[in-house]
Formats: sequence, C-alpha cells, structure tokens
Amino acid sequence: MDYLIFSFSLMLVYIGLAQLLHIQFGMAGIPNFGVVGFWGLGLYGTGVLYLTYDVPLFIAIAMASLLSAAAGYVLALLVLQRSGQAVLAATLALSAIIATLIVSEKDITGGVQGLGTIKFPFGDMDGRNIVFMVFILIVVIALVWLSAKLRDSRMGRQLVAIRDNEELAASLGKNTASTKRWVFAVTCGMMGVLGGMSAPLHQFLVPYQLAPSLTFAVWIALVLGGKGHNLGATVGVFVTFGLFDILIETYAPVPAEQAILLPNFKLFCYGLVLIMIIMFRPRGMLGEDKPRVRARPAQAQGVPRET
Amino acid sequence: MRLEAQNLTKAYHAHEVVNIKNVTFGSGGLEGLIGPNGAGKSTLMGLLTRRIAPTSGDIQLDVGNGVHKLNPLKSHEVARIGLIKTNQRIQGFDSLTIKDSLRLAATPPKDEGFASLFAKERDSDEIEAKVAQLVEAFPFTDRNGYAMSGGEKKLVDILRCLIAEPKLFLMDEPTAGLPDDITRMVMDMVRQKVANGEMRVVVVEHDLPMIWEYCDYVHFLSEGSILFDGTPEEVKSNRVVAEKYMGV
Repeated sequence: MDYLIFSFSLMLVYIGLAQLLHIQFGMAGIPNFGVVGFWGLGLYGTGVLYLTYDVPLFIAIAMASLLSAAAGYVLALLVLQRSGQAVLAATLALSAIIATLIVSEKDITGGVQGLGTIKFPFGDMDGRNIVFMVFILIVVIALVWLSAKLRDSRMGRQLVAIRDNEELAASLGKNTASTKRWVFAVTCGMMGVLGGMSAPLHQFLVPYQLAPSLTFAVWIALVLGGKGHNLGATVGVFVTFGLFDILIETYAPVPAEQAILLPNFKLFCYGLVLIMIIMFRPRGMLGEDKPRVRARPAQAQGVPRET
Repeated sequence: MRLEAQNLTKAYHAHEVVNIKNVTFGSGGLEGLIGPNGAGKSTLMGLLTRRIAPTSGDIQLDVGNGVHKLNPLKSHEVARIGLIKTNQRIQGFDSLTIKDSLRLAATPPKDEGFASLFAKERDSDEIEAKVAQLVEAFPFTDRNGYAMSGGEKKLVDILRCLIAEPKLFLMDEPTAGLPDDITRMVMDMVRQKVANGEMRVVVVEHDLPMIWEYCDYVHFLSEGSILFDGTPEEVKSNRVVAEKYMGV
C-alpha cells in the first residue's frame, strides 16, 4: 500500500512537470530539455536546507524553488533569444552541470553517498504519506487550472504569438524576450516546487535521481498526450508512467524470469507508441485546445454605430 | 511627426546596399517611396524600424513628445513609440484567428502580464469594438475563423498594424498579394486616417498609378540613395526618375 501511494505521488509530480513543460514548450515554444535540472535544484535545495540548516520543510521548498527560478532566469537571459537547438542544448547541459555538481560538491550534498532522511511533514500522524499525496494532488490540480487560465488569458495569447512568429510579435510592440524570460523563470521555479515536494517522497536523495531519464519521461508523456492541450500532460503521464510503472510493473502477473525484461519492454513500447503518434497524430492523443473565452454580448460583437 | 535618418549606411560585407545622406519622412501626410528592384527600399524600411542594424548613421523619431533616438532601441521599443511597419512577405500567427490576431495587436503590452490570468474579461469592450469594426469592413471568408488565402493573411497583416494605432505607419508593398479592390479599400481607409490626423504614412510600392493617386509626396530611391523628393507631379516629370525607373 505504501508503495502504491509512493507511485501515485510520483506520478502526480510527473504530471505537474509535464504540465509546466506544456506551458514552456506547448505554449511558449521553449524546448526545455533540462526539466530534471530545475526539479533537481528544488529536490536537493530542499534536502540541504532541511537537513543541514534545519529549515522547516515548506520554507525549504519555497527557498529551493526560488533557486530553480533564479537558475531559469539566468539561463533564459543567456540563451533564450538564440535558436531552438541552442536552447535545447543549453538546458540539457545545465541539467548535466547540476547533476555533476551534486556529485562533486559532496560537503554540501553528500555526493554519491546521498543525503537523508527527509521526513514527511505532519509529525507522527498516521497516513501522513496519504495526506502528503493529497497535498501534491492539490498543487498539481492548481497547476492544471492555472495553465487553463493562462491559455484563456491575454498573456497566453501573447505566448502563442511569440511561439508562432516572435519577430512579428516584437514588431507589434511586444517585449518578447522579457515575456519568455519571466514565463520560463516562473515555470522553472514551479518545477523546483515539485522537486522540493519530491524530497520527502524519496526521503533519501542520491545523484542518480537527477539522470536525464526524468526529462525524457516527461517529454514522452507530453508529446503522447498532446503538447498543445491543457490535459495532454495528465493523459500522457497516465498512459506512460501510470500504465507501465504502476499497473504493469507492480500488478501484472508476470513470471519472475520475464519480469526482468519489463523495463526494456516498457522502453520498446514507449518508442513504438511515440513513432505511431508522431506519424499519425503529430499533435498528440488529445490534439490542441483553443482558448475558451466568454462569448460577448451581441452589442459588442456588431459594428459600433457611427456618430 | 518627423522620422529622420542621417548618413545612414548598411553594407553586407563590402557591398553597400543603402547610403543615404539625409532623409525625412512623416512631414507630408501620405508619402511614397519608390525605386527600381534592389534599390534598397526594404532594407531602408528595416533599418528605420530597427529590424536591421545599420552599419553607420543616426535615426531619430519625433512624435511630438520629444525626439527619440532609435539607434539604441529594440524593435518592440520602436513599435511602442509609434513606428510600425507592415510586412512585404506574408507573416502571421498561424494559431490565432483573425480576430485574436487583431485583439493581440490592439492590446497594450502592459495588460499582458501575469495579472491578466485573473482578469474577468480577456478583452475590453473597447478593443472588441475596434476589432469588430475593422473585420466587418472587409470581406473575409470567415470573420470568426482563420485567414485562409495569402490575400487574407496580407490584409490581416496590414489591419494588425493599423489597430495598433501607429503614429507613423510604414507600408511595405501593400499591393503585393492583395486583390485590387481590397487594396483600394485599405488605401482609402489609410487616407481617411491621415486626413483625420491620426497618423502619417510611408508607402513602399511598385504600383506607380497607386502612388500617383494616393501620395502627397514621393521619395525616389535608387542604388541605395535618395535621388529625388517631391510631389508626384515633380517626380513624374523628373528626367532622372524617368530614365532610371520608368524606362521612358
């Protein structure tokens, strides 16, 4: 049971990360391949603050997310106005740098020996892992709700315009560089929040948690679900992580000698489904959704009377 | 209203595309900029709006609230002062409907921050009315949908700039890709706005009859420099222009 709660909590974190990537890549067109880096700054930042400096958990999460946001802002300042490939390479490189620093700065992070133990909040309460899962659920629902608000807002419209044709948006007076930078910093900060919340889930932090496989898992989920749809992240994570990591790996009656092949089989299926999606439904399972804006009263719709 | 460039040059490697001692736009209502292919018209437009960085020279814009030096500014800052240019080649936002594209252009950037997530209405009645007025004025296939043809996209490009209410409006070949009747509707609307004192206009065009009909003043650009300025009659009767451009 505890394992199931852990898996569900982790799945919620993945949904949150994919949702933020939907804002970064789906709406604003920023290919962030360093998801794990911003998440990891939140994770380790929270761990270090909580264990070494005795900062209360939630304050540690908030401080660590500010660190993620700051890293996002600085990176954005350096590379966001370059081409997509440059952004992709730079974000990937940043996450590798963060992972390396966590191994090498062992006085702070514990290096490969790891860092622990980060306890759940709420003291000795029974079922505190369930309460914490509900807490993550609330945060993730808030993220989904916020990105729907963003989609329907003037800012979301500007992001779409920047994604479609940044030069044109700038020629109409939009400060595209600044908008992208702030959106990137804020969403990276939120990735840090999810990282911080993952700290008590993992309890013990080790550098291999910062392997790029997390980034790829989130990307695959988002592309499968639909990068331009507000629920694409949720659906994508359900059919990848939910289906394989939780349902099949834990509950499918697979004989032990074949069970060892499951992770490879999973990667095989991911690859296959990804190819099918890219060939037959390039916009993902859900496709794209459009802003939902309240219909205007008839008077405002028509031509204003000439005076 | 005065957009002035001095000693403006632009060279690609050793090849000088634009070399202008002095040129002033915006004093003559609706102005034309004509010249043969490769004269540097589009480059000059790009330089003025800071889309292209000049090799040397100063550009300054006076819109009535002091003189702005454009050289250190970025493209969006130039647009915010009130200098906006349409695009010669078709540009657009593929994911935005015609109306959304216009609403975007009509919305001041300060209203597009994070606070807009929690705004009750996405667009004010005022913006909706402006958008509706412009869209109803032209025969779009689907007024609530996307721009279908190249012509519609070009028209949306022009309307998008108009709704942003520029003080000095640069039109780069408005007739290219637009049907004749639509061009006339656009130019009549532009002429009306100029007459109302809402803005000044510079049109870059190859369609000379249109230039003679609509423009109050014409600049002739050839091989990167301004060879002649004057009223349409003066330009028409100028021998240099005739030889270099009209081939008579």
